[in-house]
Amino acid sequence: MTETTQINQQLLENWHRRRRWARAGIGYTLFIALTLVFLSPLLFAALSSIKTDPLEYPPKLLSPQLNPRNWVQAARLGRQGGENAFFGGFTPGSTIEFDITYLTPHSQTPEPPEVIIPKRRPGAGLGAVFEETYAADYALVGPVRQIDQRPGSKEIDGATVDGLLTTYGFSVSYQGDGPRISRVPLDATVPPGQIYTGSTITASRIERRGRVASFDTISPGFLGYIFRNYQRVFQEAKSITSGTSLFTNWFGNSFFFALVRVITNLLLASMAGYALARFTFRGRHLVFMLLLVAQMVPVQVIFISNYLVLRDGIWGLSNIFGTPTLLNNIWGLIIGGAGTMIEAAKVFLMKQYFESLPRQIEEAARIDGASEWTTYWRVMFPMARPALGALVILSFQGAWNEFFWSFIILTSPDEIKTLPIGLLSFRQIYGTAGDWGLILAGAMLSALPVVILFIVFQKYFLEGVSFGGTKG
Amino acid sequence: MTFHQKRTLTAWGFLTPFLVIQGIFFVYAAVRAVYFSFTDYNMFNQAQFVGLANYANLFREANFLKALRNTVAFSLIVTTVQTFLALVIASILNRKMKGIGFFRSAFYLPSIASSVVITVIFLWLFQRRGFINFISGTIQSLGPAIVTAALLFLLFQTGFYLYERTKGFPIRFFDAPTGLLSFFLSLGITVLGTMTGIIDLGPGVDVDFVWLQTRQTVMGIPVPLIAIMIQNTFTTIPTLMLIFIAGLQDVPGSLYEAASIDGAGPVRQFLSITVPSIRPVLFLVTTMGLIGTLQMFDQVAIFGDAVPQESVITLAYFVYDRMFPGAQLPEVGLASAAAMFLALFTFAAVMLQRLVIKDRGDV
Repeated sequence: MTETTQINQQLLENWHRRRRWARAGIGYTLFIALTLVFLSPLLFAALSSIKTDPLEYPPKLLSPQLNPRNWVQAARLGRQGGENAFFGGFTPGSTIEFDITYLTPHSQTPEPPEVIIPKRRPGAGLGAVFEETYAADYALVGPVRQIDQRPGSKEIDGATVDGLLTTYGFSVSYQGDGPRISRVPLDATVPPGQIYTGSTITASRIERRGRVASFDTISPGFLGYIFRNYQRVFQEAKSITSGTSLFTNWFGNSFFFALVRVITNLLLASMAGYALARFTFRGRHLVFMLLLVAQMVPVQVIFISNYLVLRDGIWGLSNIFGTPTLLNNIWGLIIGGAGTMIEAAKVFLMKQYFESLPRQIEEAARIDGASEWTTYWRVMFPMARPALGALVILSFQGAWNEFFWSFIILTSPDEIKTLPIGLLSFRQIYGTAGDWGLILAGAMLSALPVVILFIVFQKYFLEGVSFGGTKG
Repeated sequence: MTFHQKRTLTAWGFLTPFLVIQGIFFVYAAVRAVYFSFTDYNMFNQAQFVGLANYANLFREANFLKALRNTVAFSLIVTTVQTFLALVIASILNRKMKGIGFFRSAFYLPSIASSVVITVIFLWLFQRRGFINFISGTIQSLGPAIVTAALLFLLFQTGFYLYERTKGFPIRFFDAPTGLLSFFLSLGITVLGTMTGIIDLGPGVDVDFVWLQTRQTVMGIPVPLIAIMIQNTFTTIPTLMLIFIAGLQDVPGSLYEAASIDGAGPVRQFLSITVPSIRPVLFLVTTMGLIGTLQMFDQVAIFGDAVPQESVITLAYFVYDRMFPGAQLPEVGLASAAAMFLALFTFAAVMLQRLVIKDRGDV
């Protein structure tokens, strides 16, 4: 009798252990599955942002840009064309060796492709505005010769086509003297019936029912091949007046805006928070009420007056900045709006934190003869480091992602915009043309700084969640 | 000067930058908005007092009524769905385990990016030949396989459950530690079945649903607005879930154990323990949800000409649209009245919500 209960006890204990392990297993599986689900739009967009056509259907996760064979070839071609394995190019005196392979069904005889360097403008939209030097004016395509032939087959629409695989080689060389050219587009056309199966680097597009294999550039370089869309973001979108890269401008503007906003919030919000936490004075409750109400009233109520005030340069004060109006001016974005230089939520955060610190420290400082300002600046401010960390990160994120105000204040010209508004103009210019590669690359680039910041300072972001704040 | 006077002066000194900025850009602005809402100001004329005419005119505007309807539908549906789903997922995930910090960060990551980045990505996903149509087509064509897997899972789970019961272990159906095993077994068999052709998947379903350039409605809600609802719910759930998980970790586990001994199942436990014990968090989350959804603007502006405007226009966008109506004169008076309406509406909704959540608790 005792024997059996002992065994049962042992069994039950084992069972419970098994149960705990299994529950942990279920837990982790669920967590991983949900993580993947929630991150999937970002991950999928990141993977697709390097594709030539992110709208390909059915969508695939893998693209030629992820194929290591193409990386090696792209680096080699970049070195041949522009002596630059990373970004390629086309320089005087260079010769690019290229080959391309077609499958010819048994019923046909193989014919070599006709190869031309077209005068193709880079993309639609902003890129099409500028005159540029074309590789077509300097490049000479050498004779196309057959370099290999062997039997082979390819699967097309579920059916296997047997035939001859023929590889043709040719060279493209830079004739005479001239400028450095960034890309060498190429079109190879074959008679109907032959099927493109591959080339030194995979073709960017196959057009006209498979007859034309089109390459954006045959001398891309390693990075120029994988991150072509990213390169285009910087190269193609240029200001019409100054010719500088718009995206670089937007990056700079966003950084400047975020930096100033972080500094003003750091100083002014902590000062206000400190006053509310530590001083008792008549009117304190009124200020506190203002703090609460300011967080609740929708921005639509106050933006009308603020727009007018900024338009008129804050009663002429803007002349200090040498401008009659603060519209379409980064300073307008920095100054305007109750929630920019000092955000009510940040004052609240600092007030809560200062209240949690012991009073004895200040009293000790005061006894030592320190002035009110010294007590704050030398003693209390440094002590608030954890809260200030959260404040800095959240202010930066808020400024970097700010949309409504920039949308209203920064309308033209394109150079003065911040990243979110710039990205929106990308969407308007390239979205209609269906050029999603460029839009997605722009989106990834503008999300990158906050994502990096998040990975480094996760703790502060997660603390911020508990302070509330919604996403529109 | 006495010590106290000096302290008061210092306090005001510390508060001066805050008060000046709030004074100009909040108090003055709010007062002016109230004033404008009673005038016919259009930025170029001398403002004339028109009484409540703007407020009355609002309700004669077809676009305002559409905006109101869209806003209410959007807010009600999104707040309900995201709160419910976030709470359910959070209570399933509410476990003490190693590495939870990593998952918390992973869940928060989607809300790091700006609304423009997220909306642009979703615009791409919602293209006619985009990922959303592709995935819904794939799920439809996988229908037979999904049903098979679900049935197999139930079969395995019942088998394991009965086996362990006969062995005398204290087990409940959904608490069966064999869940993972049943899951992978049914998944494996289904995959094998499809590969060998025993489970016939039939022809692929080609979904060609137009999400954006359409005036179609589903149950009275414009399809483009549904697209924004999906995007908003999807990107807000992780953040809300994090808040819920934080709240749930404070609920003593002994409550669940006691309920479990009394024979309460997971649903009963959820309703009788989880929901009442996190009512403050629930209140915070619904308030955040209501304020965020009632003032939704970014997505409408970013979708822009990619969708018919009246399908997605919201109150917040209506205000903007009347301030910057393109070629026409701005209607500052009407815009201000709409903004005041939005503020009062938000306030009323939050108050109402507070009443509802409180009432449920007393039952």
